[in-house]
Amino acid sequence: MTIPVVSVDHLTKRYGSFAAIDDVSFTINKGEVVGFVGLNGAGKSTTINTMLGFLHSTEGSVTIFDQDVTPQTAHKTHQEIGFASGDMSLFSNLTGKQYFKFIAGRFGLHDMTRLKELSDLFEPDSNKKISDLSRGNKQKIALIAAFMTSPELVILDEPSSGLDPLMQQNFVDLIHQETAKGTTIFMSSHYLNEVIDVCSRVVLIRAGKIVKDIPAKELITDGGKMVHLVSKHAVTPPRAAELIEKTKSEQGHELTFVYKAKPAQLQQWLSGVAGLIDVSITDHDLKAAFEDLYELETGQHA
Amino acid sequence: MRNLFTKTLYDKRTFIIGWVLGMAFIGYLMTIFFPAFHQDNGLDQLIKNLPPAMQGLVGSLDNLKQLSTYLGSQLFDIRMPIFLSVLTILLAVGLTVSEEDKGQLRTLIALPLSRTRILAVKWFVIVFICLLAALGVIGGVELGLLTIHETLDYQVLVRLGSMMWLLSIALATTIFSIGLATGKRGLTTGIGVIVTVGSFLVTTFAPSVDWLKDYDKFSFLHYFPAPDIAKGTVDPMNVAVYAGITIVFLIIAIIAFRRRDIR
Repeated sequence: MTIPVVSVDHLTKRYGSFAAIDDVSFTINKGEVVGFVGLNGAGKSTTINTMLGFLHSTEGSVTIFDQDVTPQTAHKTHQEIGFASGDMSLFSNLTGKQYFKFIAGRFGLHDMTRLKELSDLFEPDSNKKISDLSRGNKQKIALIAAFMTSPELVILDEPSSGLDPLMQQNFVDLIHQETAKGTTIFMSSHYLNEVIDVCSRVVLIRAGKIVKDIPAKELITDGGKMVHLVSKHAVTPPRAAELIEKTKSEQGHELTFVYKAKPAQLQQWLSGVAGLIDVSITDHDLKAAFEDLYELETGQHA
Repeated sequence: MRNLFTKTLYDKRTFIIGWVLGMAFIGYLMTIFFPAFHQDNGLDQLIKNLPPAMQGLVGSLDNLKQLSTYLGSQLFDIRMPIFLSVLTILLAVGLTVSEEDKGQLRTLIALPLSRTRILAVKWFVIVFICLLAALGVIGGVELGLLTIHETLDYQVLVRLGSMMWLLSIALATTIFSIGLATGKRGLTTGIGVIVTVGSFLVTTFAPSVDWLKDYDKFSFLHYFPAPDIAKGTVDPMNVAVYAGITIVFLIIAIIAFRRRDIR
C-alpha cells in the first residue's frame, strides 16, 4: 500500500511575468527515494523552497504529512523533516558540536546514538567554529544535522556538492541505510550517477515544468547503444533508433543514432545496409541519455 | 545553547560585550567631566555667547550646575542618542536582513520553529541587549561617581536608564520591523538612519529653528526629555508613546514576516 508523504499539486511560482515553476505536480510515497533532476535555473530549488515554506506559491499547493504547507504553517511539518542544501548557511559563530546541540534542542532529541553514527561516517571537524571550516566540512555538518533527528522525510538540495569522492560514496551509503529503514528522501542533484545509484524514481524538471517522472531503472536502460556508421549510399536509420546526426562527408554518408531495442534486431538491420564502409557501436553514456531525455521531451538540446 | 534565545545571545556575544563596555565607558567619562563643567565659570560665558541655534547642541546652562541634570542633559539628552542610533541600527539590521542575506534565516525557518516564534525570540534578544546597554551606562556612571567622590539619588539613574531602555527598544523595534517585513538591507538601513539621525537633528535644533518645532513631535527623542526626567518627572504619556510605537511595529512585523518569501 502506498502512503503519500508529499503531494505537490499544480504548483506555480511566478515573479512578475516569469514563472520559476509552472504547474508542477508529483507525489512522493512513504519509503521512496526520489531524485529531482534538472539544469541550473530549472526550478529545483524553487520547488524545494516552496515545499519547506520559504516561499509562498502563486498557485497550487503542497501537502506534506497531510498538512497544507504555506509560509505560516510549514513549521508544523518540520519536526519530521531533515533538510540540507549544498549552499546551506549554518550558524557560523558556533562550532559543529554546538550546532548539533542546538539542532538536538530544537527537535527535542536526547538520544545521541544516531549523531555518533553519522559523525563516525563523515568524520567532521566539529570542534572548530563553522566559519573556519572548508566547504566540504560545512557540508558534512549540514548532512549530519539533517539526518541526526531520524526524520521521516529528508529533503536535500544538491546535498553532495562540496564533498570529496570518498565522502560522496559515504553519502551514497548513508542514503542506502536510510532507504533500508524506510525513510522517504527527496533530493535534487546535478550528479546523475548519484541519483541512479540511490533513487528509486527520477523527476526531471526543465524551465519550471516537469518533463519526466520515471523509475530510475528506466534511466539506466534508456542509455542504449550509440551507433555510428559510414556507407556509400544514404541510409535510413532503423525504426527504434533516435537519430542524432546524418551528414555527407568525403568518406561517404555518415549516420549516428542511439539504439535501445534488442541487439539482435540491430545486427539484422546492419546486415542489410548496402555499401557499409565502417561501423562503430559504443555504450551511450548516462549523461547523454539524460540530455536525450530533455531533447525528447522538449525538442531542445539540454 | 539548546534554545534560540541563548544561541542568538551567544552569536552576539562580542557585540554585546563591546557595546556594554563602550556604553559604560561613555557613562564613566561624562560623569568624571562633571567637576570641570560644575566649576568652570569661563564655560558659562562661552555658552552664553553661543548663537541660539548652537545652544541645542550643548544644552542649557542651568542643567550643568546640578549633577543629575548635568547627566540628564550632557549624557542622556545629547550624547546617548547618537550612540543609541548606531546600536539600534546595527542590532536590528544584524538580527534581520544580515541573517537573511547570509541564508541563516532559511536555516532557522527549516527547523520546527514558527516564524512568529523566531520573530518573538529575536525581539526579546533586542530587548535584553538594550537592557544590558542601559545597565552599562548606569554602571559607568556609578563608577564615575566613585571616581569623583559624588553621590546621586539612585532613582535618577533608574528613571533615566529605564526611559533610555524604552527609547532604544522603540527605535530598534521600528528598524527590526522594517527588516523582517521587507528583507531589504538598503531600505532597512536607510529608514533606520532617517529615523534615528532625523530624530536627533529635529529634537536638537527644534528649540532654535521655529519651523522645526511643529515636527518635533514626530521625533523619537521628543519623548525622552532627559533633563526633566533627571529632575524627577517621567511623563506617562512618553512611556505610552514608546510602548505604542513598539507594539504597532511588532504587529506590522508579525503580519508581514509570516507571509513573505524568504531568500
